[in-house]
Amino acid sequence: MKNIIIPLFLLLLLVVLVLVSTMFQVRETESALVTRFGNPTRELSEPGLYFKWPPPIEWVHKFDSRLRILEAELGETTTKGAVPVIVNTFIVWRVSEPLAFFNAVGTFNDAESKLLSQISDTQNKVIGRHFFSEMVNSDPEKIRLEEIEGEMLSGLQEAVKGIYGIEVKAVGIKQLKVSEDVSKDVFDRMRKERERRTEATIAEGTAAAKKIKTDADSMQTELLAAADARAKAIRAQGDAEAAMYYKMLEEDPQLAMFLRDIEALKKILESRSTLVIGADVEPFRLLKEMPVLDSNKP
Amino acid sequence: MEEQTQTDNHDHTQEAAAGAMSPGYDYLSSALKVSFFLLKIIMVILIGLYLASGFRTVEPDEQALVLWFGKIRGVGEDRLLGPGLHWILPYPVEEIVKIPVQKKINIPLNLFWYYEKPGSEMPESVDSRAYVPPTLNPLTEGYCLVRGERQKLPMVGSEGSDYNILHSKWVLTYQISDPESFFKNCFVDTGQLQAGQGYSDAIEKSVTPLLRGLLADTVVRTMVNYTIEEAMYERASGVTEHVKRLLQDKLNEIDSGIKVVAVQRNRIAVPRQVEDAFEAAHTAVQAKERAISGAKLYAEKTLSETAGQVASELLQLLHSKDANEQDTERLWAQLAGKAQERIADARAYRTKVVESARANADYLHQILPEYRKRPKLVLQRIYKDAIEQILDNADEKIVIQPGRAKTGSEIRVLVNRDPSLRKKTESGNR
Repeated sequence: MKNIIIPLFLLLLLVVLVLVSTMFQVRETESALVTRFGNPTRELSEPGLYFKWPPPIEWVHKFDSRLRILEAELGETTTKGAVPVIVNTFIVWRVSEPLAFFNAVGTFNDAESKLLSQISDTQNKVIGRHFFSEMVNSDPEKIRLEEIEGEMLSGLQEAVKGIYGIEVKAVGIKQLKVSEDVSKDVFDRMRKERERRTEATIAEGTAAAKKIKTDADSMQTELLAAADARAKAIRAQGDAEAAMYYKMLEEDPQLAMFLRDIEALKKILESRSTLVIGADVEPFRLLKEMPVLDSNKP
Repeated sequence: MEEQTQTDNHDHTQEAAAGAMSPGYDYLSSALKVSFFLLKIIMVILIGLYLASGFRTVEPDEQALVLWFGKIRGVGEDRLLGPGLHWILPYPVEEIVKIPVQKKINIPLNLFWYYEKPGSEMPESVDSRAYVPPTLNPLTEGYCLVRGERQKLPMVGSEGSDYNILHSKWVLTYQISDPESFFKNCFVDTGQLQAGQGYSDAIEKSVTPLLRGLLADTVVRTMVNYTIEEAMYERASGVTEHVKRLLQDKLNEIDSGIKVVAVQRNRIAVPRQVEDAFEAAHTAVQAKERAISGAKLYAEKTLSETAGQVASELLQLLHSKDANEQDTERLWAQLAGKAQERIADARAYRTKVVESARANADYLHQILPEYRKRPKLVLQRIYKDAIEQILDNADEKIVIQPGRAKTGSEIRVLVNRDPSLRKKTESGNR
């Protein structure tokens, strides 16, 4: 028994050594390339356990295949109508073909510097094909910003395809600005627009208020006119009713007229009146002289 | 081990020389047995420890993936481990990746805000009224372009490229909704972790640049579709919804496994360079509203003074062709205000006229028999009574003796219509 232990142990050690140098994992997040004496032999993008010849025969190179973001510097470029714009484009990319990546760039730093020049190149080319009015427009139907991004994406995909082993998944414009000189014009325009609105608002307010007031006034006139018409009808009714009594006066029209005059006189001189009257009017005649009474009469 | 080997050799020679029954051999053999036994125990313990090291806890807010030699283990729902204690084959066979799926993470985005000196970020601080440059430097100042109003008559040569500038601040809240896609596709830098930290600790820092870029892009693309009014007031919630939708589309497109929980637009402002013009416009709007509400108040007051509560109803009735008589009468009965006064006056007039006519008729009727008997006396009595009453009521009575001279005599009497005024003049003359 003791004779077996030692060789068994050594064998185990050897097996472990062999396994460690020949087995390797490819994780879900990466892809790998196996090279034999420096020449690439296998490209592995499926995750799992793999075998290879131990070094120095075969080496394995792993590349992270997850999405990364790469942002170009904020830079000025010109649109088709020669309007300067300041844009900041970024891409979302990943390593898709380890072999091509290994051959063309090798490291992520290298890849990024190559991609950066490619980004600004494509960005300038695509923006140069479009008018500024396609980026922002008072008519939203004419805005082509998404298409511009789409063109950049396909442009970049075309440019890196098959060369770098890189896949560009998305392109975005992080900032879109105008040059400093233009910003002043924009402000002038914004200010003018506001001033125009301010004036319009004030005019609208005045007009609306005036209309409401005029409407109210005319409604008032209308209502009062209606009320007056009704009032007139009521008065007429009164006059008509009164006229029925006048018939009774016809029994002695002269007396009626006299009574009426007397009533009118009383009413006219009811208050706040100053009366200047001759002394030969009854009963003031008494102030002048004694009356001569005919006492003999019955 | 070396020692054991030597002992072994020694044993062999002894066996050959002295046979199996020597006491030394017994001793050695029992010692070996003990050490083998110990070795076995140690190995069992080691294997036990190795296997026991496969226990992993998944926290309540997490889900976990298990990698079997780098490949995600299981099919369908089994691929994800829920919260609880799990056992996996230890390194190097299996590996666990815990992903916080419940955690909601905020990312602020101040890229579209103007440059503020550090420490002056309070909106109402003294510095906010500090010097404002007349232009915006595109390298230091952040903003979005928004579209201009659609003009009825576009300016010649402008081609509708009328646009404005707006500042805004945003916050994105996200969550990992699909751990597998997230793990496969989103770059998480585990290289700079400190001891004791795991995959999930690196997520936030690694994902932020990606999400920030995508959010900024979405905001830029969204804002150009809105005017200042829409973005700031009228369709503010529509803008954030729009951003949220576009951002989610983009995240799905790249299969990121990330879900946008919310997009908030925390602040929005017009450039400080044109703030005063906007304030003036705002004030004008308020003034307009004030003028209109003032006019409405006037209208209400006028109408209610004219006809009371029923004013508008009555107007409608007056305008309608087929007015119901019952309604009309009901409304007129409820009338108030000036119109009512006029009608009341008319009613009073009617009553008065009728009453006085009746009174006169009655009076005539009553005195008629007496008058027919002694007409002169009755007339005289009535006449005298009247004169008496008139003279009694007069404030001033001036009796004039008619002059003897037939010609050239003239009397002048200065009378004032208002007795109270006359008194004043008198006291003044004294």
